[in-house]
Amino acid sequence: MVGGLLVWLIAFFLLVALLVVVAYQLMCLADLEFDYINPYDSASRINYVVLPEFVLQGILSLLFLLSGHWFMFLFSTPVLYYNVKLYQSRHHLIDVTEIFNLLNREKKRRLFKLIYFVSLLFLSLFWMIWSVMEDDD
Amino acid sequence: MHPFGNEKPLNALGQPAMPAPAASQATPPFLSSGPVVGFGASGASRTTAPFSSSGAFPNPGAQGAPQAMAPPLSSRPITGLETSGYTSPPQGRFNGLTRPPQPSYPVQDPNSFQQSLAPRFPPTSQSPYPLRSPPFGAPSVGPPLGPPPAQVPVVPMGPPPQISSPSPPRVSMAPPVLDSSVPAPTAVLHSPLPGNPNAPPLVNMPHQQFPAGRPVSMPAPQTFSAPNAPPYASPFNAHQGGYVPPPPPVGATLGFNSMGQTQYPSTGPPLEGTLQGLIEDFQSLSVASTPGTLDHGIDPKLLARPLEGDNEPTSILETYPLNCHPRYLRLTTHAIPSSQSLLARWHLPLGVVVHPLAEAPDGEEVPVVNFGPAGVIRCRRCRTYVNPYVSFTDAGRKWRCNLCSLLNDVPGEYFCALDATGRRCDMDQRPELCQGSVEIIAPTEYMVRPPMPPLYFFLIDVSVTAVRSGLLEVVSKTIKSCLNELPGYPRTQIGFITFDSTLHFYSLKSSSSQPQMMVVADLEDIFLPMPDDLLVNLSDSRSVVDTLLDSLPSMFQDNANVESAFGPALKAAFMVTGKLGGKLIVFQSTLPSLGVGRLRLRGEDLRVYGTDKEHSLQTPEDPFYKQMAAEFTKCQIAVDIFNFSDKYSDIASLGTLAKYTGGQVYYYPSFHASIHEEKLKHDLARDLTRETAWEAVMRIRCGKGVRFTTYHGHFMLRSTDLLALPAVDCDKAFAMQLALEETLITTQTAYFQVALLYTSSSGERRIRVLTTAVPVVTDLGDMYRQADTGAIVSVMSRLAIENTLSTKLEDARQLLQLKIVKSLREYRNLYVVQHRLAGRLIYPESLKFLALYVLSLCKTLALRGGYADASLDERCAAGYSMMILPIGRLLRLLYPSLIRVDEILLKASHKSDEVLERLPLTTESLDSRGLYIYDNGFDFVIWFGRMLFPDIVTSILGVDFSTFPDLSRAALFERDNEISRKFTKILMKLRAEDLSSYQLCHMVRQGEQPRESSLFLSNLVEDQTASTSGYRDWILRLFRQTQQSS
Repeated sequence: MVGGLLVWLIAFFLLVALLVVVAYQLMCLADLEFDYINPYDSASRINYVVLPEFVLQGILSLLFLLSGHWFMFLFSTPVLYYNVKLYQSRHHLIDVTEIFNLLNREKKRRLFKLIYFVSLLFLSLFWMIWSVMEDDD
Repeated sequence: MHPFGNEKPLNALGQPAMPAPAASQATPPFLSSGPVVGFGASGASRTTAPFSSSGAFPNPGAQGAPQAMAPPLSSRPITGLETSGYTSPPQGRFNGLTRPPQPSYPVQDPNSFQQSLAPRFPPTSQSPYPLRSPPFGAPSVGPPLGPPPAQVPVVPMGPPPQISSPSPPRVSMAPPVLDSSVPAPTAVLHSPLPGNPNAPPLVNMPHQQFPAGRPVSMPAPQTFSAPNAPPYASPFNAHQGGYVPPPPPVGATLGFNSMGQTQYPSTGPPLEGTLQGLIEDFQSLSVASTPGTLDHGIDPKLLARPLEGDNEPTSILETYPLNCHPRYLRLTTHAIPSSQSLLARWHLPLGVVVHPLAEAPDGEEVPVVNFGPAGVIRCRRCRTYVNPYVSFTDAGRKWRCNLCSLLNDVPGEYFCALDATGRRCDMDQRPELCQGSVEIIAPTEYMVRPPMPPLYFFLIDVSVTAVRSGLLEVVSKTIKSCLNELPGYPRTQIGFITFDSTLHFYSLKSSSSQPQMMVVADLEDIFLPMPDDLLVNLSDSRSVVDTLLDSLPSMFQDNANVESAFGPALKAAFMVTGKLGGKLIVFQSTLPSLGVGRLRLRGEDLRVYGTDKEHSLQTPEDPFYKQMAAEFTKCQIAVDIFNFSDKYSDIASLGTLAKYTGGQVYYYPSFHASIHEEKLKHDLARDLTRETAWEAVMRIRCGKGVRFTTYHGHFMLRSTDLLALPAVDCDKAFAMQLALEETLITTQTAYFQVALLYTSSSGERRIRVLTTAVPVVTDLGDMYRQADTGAIVSVMSRLAIENTLSTKLEDARQLLQLKIVKSLREYRNLYVVQHRLAGRLIYPESLKFLALYVLSLCKTLALRGGYADASLDERCAAGYSMMILPIGRLLRLLYPSLIRVDEILLKASHKSDEVLERLPLTTESLDSRGLYIYDNGFDFVIWFGRMLFPDIVTSILGVDFSTFPDLSRAALFERDNEISRKFTKILMKLRAEDLSSYQLCHMVRQGEQPRESSLFLSNLVEDQTASTSGYRDWILRLFRQTQQSS
């Protein structure tokens, strides 16, 4: 079961990375709202990390799929689907001209993602500990 | 509230604060009228005496002459308002809508008088007449129905003598048709009271039972003495049953008075007071239909029509004389609700329309203020500028901010003692303390770079369509003719790029005698050949520029290139102008087809229309244009688009360039020089020569409890509440919406302050500050009373146009209708309890035109119909132009004027100041013997009636209609005869009313389909067309929906 533990460890780090990326985006938006940075900088900073975030999320889902953790895979599909949808409709990047009109929506989106990833993190932590316990047995 | 740095836009942009750029250093010192600020490269200019205007800035130490005792400032505004609500006399209001004014009352008077005095009284005179009054038991309020009143047996409504003597005017309520139709009262003399056909209504309103009710069993709460009774009763009862539409005022009078009379048994003047208050609160329109008939009961003549155009709510200035003029700033209602719950009942938008650089008539220019060494006086916390509503305390050493109530120190240089009333002694000399609109000269802290010179950069399409249509020639000629008038001489910078499938740059070095053209064919990796000479100082290189403009048309006259590398050209222009900013003027006649930003034909797919995807055609397809727009704004470049395509050219995408850079879109479908030349010339000249404010930012501040949420117009938001406007001029207005915070507003007055920081063409940095005070109200009725239709329509139109970018057209229109219905319903609920309103649509006096404006808003190019009703480009262009229109011009566009001129032309006398009478916009105003001008501020449509006197036609057009000339190509110019001269004079007069746009003449003959209907008939907004309702049906629909409980 060392492989299992490894999968959970990778998943854990991926999730932490995702959390950091999403939190960073949220921070940029909050800064923008309080007028600490201008919209051009804010938008370019966020847009810079949007694709990496999507890729990370894709890798995570793939990892769950390949390692046969169906439950966790199913759990991560909604966000995967949402990301793909956004990307296809070309709405994944922040539009600097409309950023203030979309600010609340974008913030909400990212907040939901944040909560979602946190819950995923706890789940995978649980499974990691579980697999460690099983190893011990 | 907002850090000070925010008004220094350039910093926030991350753009390096450059030292004076090379280009500007070369220029001679700019023209600056007042004290020189800033830009002087060494800063030495700051040593010039700042107080150049001697009188305006007295020595701060001087104690000033004792002022006349004036009331303290703060107390003034609040008191006035209450009184202003009830200014107009009741008669005027009532007559206004419910019925045409009836000057005939003196005639009827004796008649009715006699009637009422007549002994044949027993007044239950109704039985012979079927009770035709509407069943809702409010006969007292229904004004005349549709059918001619002659059929209706009418009993004169003469007031009883007791009342008529103190207040004769109220008699005017008597219906016009009287005696003849009055049946001999004798016939009904003994009609038994139980037979009262009017019983139901009477039961409904027991306390209207007047003594006439003697025989009626109901014990009415009357305190009338017997002698009084008969005269009263007679008219009253008579109308109860006998009339179909009893005149409202009398009915209302009685209805309300029953209460009043219990208090004032002496039926005299005291009544008037209560009446006045109750009656004139609202206006109403009867929509009662007679049961059993198909008549919908609205008399089209009574519908409200804004034939006088927009009237600015200048009455506010009487209450708040220190406010800025409404031409600069208008609220949708000049009353701020005190709580969110109150605001929730106000279903119309709550917001502000700001027109910061509105043209002021001579003598009312905004005064210029220089604070000199004291620096600009602003609140420490919320950064509010000092304004007439701040109060000075502590013997003049402190001042209290009116927005955030923080106590600020008065700088030593600005100190002035207070007089006995707490007023500053120098108040009258300081415009910023006695006027709501001032312009402050900004010191160097307000610049992050030297003020930029006015810069005009032209991007001209020279592909085959542009050359063939004559566009290139007109443009070159017009630019050349405007060179002398470009603002900012001698600092003005200018440059040109032309493009087809390649880019052509022009080196305009002043040392060379000929412009040098360089062609760049590499569209992928654009570079600038000789980057220093592409943008030159106009006064230095004037002769080279002239030569270029002279030769441009001939250089490309044989060009057969059909491609357009618009995207790369845009990028090149950005590279040239990016360092300085300025204005980029684009002339474009083909769909961009090469390089980045190429666009494809959209809107061909008919299946999209009417579905949820419909709106996607109105949003830009390629993100390139949005990105470019963002870059342009960042570098302070405004983009004006002149589009001339005869085919689809995706205005939706191109327009975003203008939208986010504070620019403007001009659209000339199927441009041809012979037809459009004058219009293009005028529009372009106006664009180039109007006073423009450069590198501007605008912010609106408000007090606690209020917050601005959304902004609508052409600009880019640079932070949550800062509008970046690379260039702004007198033709642009901005709208914003307000929201309230959770807490109640406890103050009695709310303040708004607009600050526009800009660089004038002469190179001065200035701040235009507009301050306005608004009462806080707790009553919805007050909000309605102070509503401003123009501002409401302006905000609603912008919202609706933004809606069309994300939803279906139909939904956008529905939303408009819903808003107006909700607000009318809410208004109805205010009054429905105390007044009998069945069968009437009621609305506040202030909003009497709202329904019509909204109807015509739904019929404008931007919002009308579906696919077939307007081409996609026209729709988008109309949308873009409506987003920036100031209120007055918007209302003119929504309800254009229709003027009959044939009589004026034929009249012998020719006074030039003849009043042109505006007619309702319906086919019923048209007479086939007439000649009409329809003027919406952008176009004229000249409509020739079929039976128009042939002389007029030949005099104006030079041809006879019998030859069936093609009017779409006919030219209109002044011919050598009296009629034509007069006609041209009228057109010129109409054009002179508004210089911001030039009306192009379209001529159309009656019955000339399909041009007549597309150009003219579809614009008669009061008429019913295939998919839209007419004014009458619209009112009826609104009425029905307001009746339904939500």
